[in-house]
Amino acid sequence: MNALREKARELLAAKTVQVVIGYGRGSGGSARAVFMRAPAQAAELIFDATCLQNLAVYLMKPEVRKLGKAALVATPAALRTILQLAAENQVADNSLLALAPVGEDIMPLATFAAIEAHVAAADHDLSAAEGAELGKFAAMGLEERRRFWEEQFSRCLKCYACRAACPLCYCTRCTVECNQPQWIPVPAHDLGNLEWNVMRAMHLAGRCVNCGDCSRACPVGIPLYLLNQKLISDVSSVFQARSGMAARSDNAMSTFKPNDPEDFIR
Amino acid sequence: MPDFEPKIVAFVCNWCTYAGADLTGTSRMKYSPQVSIIRFPCTGRIDFMLLLKAFASGADGIIVSGCHPNDCHYSSGNFHARRRWIIFRGLLDFLGIDVRRVQFSWYGRWGRSRATSACAAWA
Amino acid sequence: MARIGVFICHCGENISATVDVGKVAEAAARIPGVAHSVDYKYMCSDPGQQMVQNAIREKNLTGVVVAACSPRMHEPTFRRACAAAGLNPFLCEMANIREHCSWVHEKGDATTEKAIDIVRTLVAKVKKNKALQPIKVPVTKVAMVIGGGIAGIQASLDIANAGHRVILVEREPSIGGHMSQLSETFPTLDCSQCILTPRMVEVAQHANITLHTYSELESLEGFIGNFKARIRKKARSLDEKLCTGCGLCAQKCPTRRIASEFDAGLGLRPAIYVPFPQAVPNKPVIDREHCTYYLKGKCRLCEKVCPTQAIRFDQEDEIVEVDVGAVVLATGFDIKHSDFFPEYGYGKHKDVIDGLQFERLASASGPTLGEMRRPSDGKVPETVVFVACAGSRDPAKGIEYCSKICCMYTAKHAMLYKHKVHHGKPYVFYMDIRAGGKMYEEFVRRAMEEDGVQYVRGRVSRIFERNGKLVVKGADTLLGARPMEIEADMVVLATAGVAQAGAEELAQKLHVSYDAHKFYAEAHPKLRPVETNTAGIFLAGACQAPKDIPESVAQASGAAAKVAALFSQAELVREPLIAVVDRQAPPLYSSCVGCFLCQSACPYQAIEKEEIRGRDGQLLKTVAKVNPGLCQGCGTCVAFCRTKSIDIQGFSHEQVHAEVLALLNRGDRDA
Repeated sequence: MNALREKARELLAAKTVQVVIGYGRGSGGSARAVFMRAPAQAAELIFDATCLQNLAVYLMKPEVRKLGKAALVATPAALRTILQLAAENQVADNSLLALAPVGEDIMPLATFAAIEAHVAAADHDLSAAEGAELGKFAAMGLEERRRFWEEQFSRCLKCYACRAACPLCYCTRCTVECNQPQWIPVPAHDLGNLEWNVMRAMHLAGRCVNCGDCSRACPVGIPLYLLNQKLISDVSSVFQARSGMAARSDNAMSTFKPNDPEDFIR
Repeated sequence: MPDFEPKIVAFVCNWCTYAGADLTGTSRMKYSPQVSIIRFPCTGRIDFMLLLKAFASGADGIIVSGCHPNDCHYSSGNFHARRRWIIFRGLLDFLGIDVRRVQFSWYGRWGRSRATSACAAWA
Repeated sequence: MARIGVFICHCGENISATVDVGKVAEAAARIPGVAHSVDYKYMCSDPGQQMVQNAIREKNLTGVVVAACSPRMHEPTFRRACAAAGLNPFLCEMANIREHCSWVHEKGDATTEKAIDIVRTLVAKVKKNKALQPIKVPVTKVAMVIGGGIAGIQASLDIANAGHRVILVEREPSIGGHMSQLSETFPTLDCSQCILTPRMVEVAQHANITLHTYSELESLEGFIGNFKARIRKKARSLDEKLCTGCGLCAQKCPTRRIASEFDAGLGLRPAIYVPFPQAVPNKPVIDREHCTYYLKGKCRLCEKVCPTQAIRFDQEDEIVEVDVGAVVLATGFDIKHSDFFPEYGYGKHKDVIDGLQFERLASASGPTLGEMRRPSDGKVPETVVFVACAGSRDPAKGIEYCSKICCMYTAKHAMLYKHKVHHGKPYVFYMDIRAGGKMYEEFVRRAMEEDGVQYVRGRVSRIFERNGKLVVKGADTLLGARPMEIEADMVVLATAGVAQAGAEELAQKLHVSYDAHKFYAEAHPKLRPVETNTAGIFLAGACQAPKDIPESVAQASGAAAKVAALFSQAELVREPLIAVVDRQAPPLYSSCVGCFLCQSACPYQAIEKEEIRGRDGQLLKTVAKVNPGLCQGCGTCVAFCRTKSIDIQGFSHEQVHAEVLALLNRGDRDA
């Protein structure tokens, strides 16, 4: 933690960056995002098991962008988010500094190449527990799955907190806001909720880096991560693709192989 | 025959399946009037949101059909569509929606056999 | 407020026999926004079209739905009729109640109901239709043909004879391609050079053709009608204007032992050379890799003997930029060489040769002046084994396809051999004989029956040397796989035809697609065999797949016809059914966020980056832009765009969304 604070102080003092985005202590022992602009503030920085949020989400917020060049305390998911944003032409190389905590130390990663090398060294497969949970769903009957999701989506308020928390939901005008035609009905009701949640998941297919912030943001506790993980698992097993591994890469969903499986097509 | 007559919407590409459905007409083959066709330039154009919209608006079944691989009028629209279908279908199944309600096909022998068997599957 | 006219056709009795058209017209009249609804016996007849036009004028219609046959049948008819009455043609849609309704369902209420559904769907669509203007793209009426073999020559001549300028680019020092290397051609056995060289000369002399030999395409940018090509003219080390082609330089050149490409390595050439006597242009080129001056800094003998002082040792490559409206790709093919076959000695036996080498041996202009003498010692071979399908149809070698021309040229080779060595014994090992084509089967029969060529059905497993003979081991599968061993003096491998070296690189420069074997991909395997997926780029000859001469020529003329058709108009007029990226009021400018994931989804490379700048030139946003010249309107990008920022005219989000809702929203049917 000291290494992190020292690094942040140094970066701000030398004006290498204009803002350090990191974690500070929030209410009730939780972590919250903090935006340090002066060296003295660096002492507030923390990094521990409570620091789960994918801070890369702020890279796409205009009010944060206005602050100038940023250094970002980056978890593995945040690093992959940066690479995915790069692949989608949203961030430029050398325009930000990722601070990757490694044990007690901090590793500054200034270029996409450095982030790629760091990311490549780690394992990004779904964990055994995540795989087991998906397996449990696969083993359920169709009707059981339908009832499960019907109940979950019935609680959806269409507050779009999941969207705000997602670092890859950066579109300035979401399809939800489109009213000619009105793709997603405005009120929260079963059919519209299903449409919204299917759309959200589909739009993240081949892009989601599994940070889990959508589920953490959901005020009614819908396990949205399950939908993402299902698609991550499909994209990986069927197309052998994984998002957020390279700054220059084509999306699994906007490319194809002539021999993609088609056993379901009659 | 049960009283229930499933309403089926077919989303088809202009070049293979729409033309094929025309040919079905020209050859006077018969299928259920519950099947209606909406024309698209290419399967690549068919947005999954429209399939959702069709279900949300009361369609019992959906057919999505276009040119065979390598026969696409636009060379690769159908390949892109196929990727989208793979993921979309997987997601629907995960959500507990019976994927037999969405049938994907490359245009082959559209006509009585296909359309009636499709109806039977949903009846 | 929409004022839609609905026109329901009986099509004689084709529709009215099963659909209650009167009821459809009544129901249509009740659809909100419908201002006029009628039925008529033959809507496509003159009086029918007149009804549509009168209604447009009298009722001030804002849209028209003709419920009749398939739009693939009469959409152009009714759109023209609407345009004539002053209504934008793209505000007219057809409801297909014949092919998709009356013909496929029995007479009854359900069929009439469906017809009403279809009409309601199309009314909902047409209410969202927008008046569209055809897209006009200027056309530069100059064609670039890449490759000067028989396909490129034919395409160039056809386009030039249609009155258009042609720029022909050839990589080698002379045009002519593989055909100039051939001795005789099947199935007529006429001399290849005799029929080809007049065409080559015609190309050189044609007022409409600019020839760039020893040149390669450097880059191509732009789109149909409006390409910019950069051509690299490699340094010949020669002032072509001064050179008279007298040939003294080549006679005097001291470096004379270079394997001749034209003679497929069987003959020799000097360092300054013309590939063959009938070359076009008949101007030499210095092979800098072998020339003593370039290697050691002295010699310059050619410079001394040149009567016109045309040699230019310090010449550099030159880049020529040209504007062209269309491109014909005719880069041809190559063959696998004998070193591709470990089982036949990796090319180490001098008398195991490939088909092109045999052509040179048989050619009167070849290294043996047409006498049948084998390469190793110049002896006349008494027994020759021809091996068909050498490499082709062999998945183990990575070549699954049939090279198509080998069956025929092998029969020709065996015949030519027999005609030159009357007592000789030709054998052909084959898998199947594929002799589809005019006079082809008869030709192969002649080889077997009149010239006594021994055909053995089976594959050759090994070739090795024993006592100065080449032992060919194989099996005769028609005699129960009986093992066979032939002691031959020469073996000719009909090696697989493959894509030209550099085919992939060139395809990438042009953005045309190619298959796993690097052959260029046609836009449609059946219906668009001479077009590529990139509008304005066409295919001719064996660069698309192995082909014989007549097929290459036919395809070249096909490509030329496509080019001539493109050039026959001052402007390219296209239906505006293409994708467009939206524009919004500031500060959004466009809902496109510039992720450019659509770029890889577009089959036509039609999506470009556009920078939106403020008045002070400051970059505000980079968004996608669809090039209307390249977009073909498939809409793959439209379905892919998360923000629905791209839309496709004619099948827009609003249109198809309205169709789905109208088709399923059965509640307002009788409203």
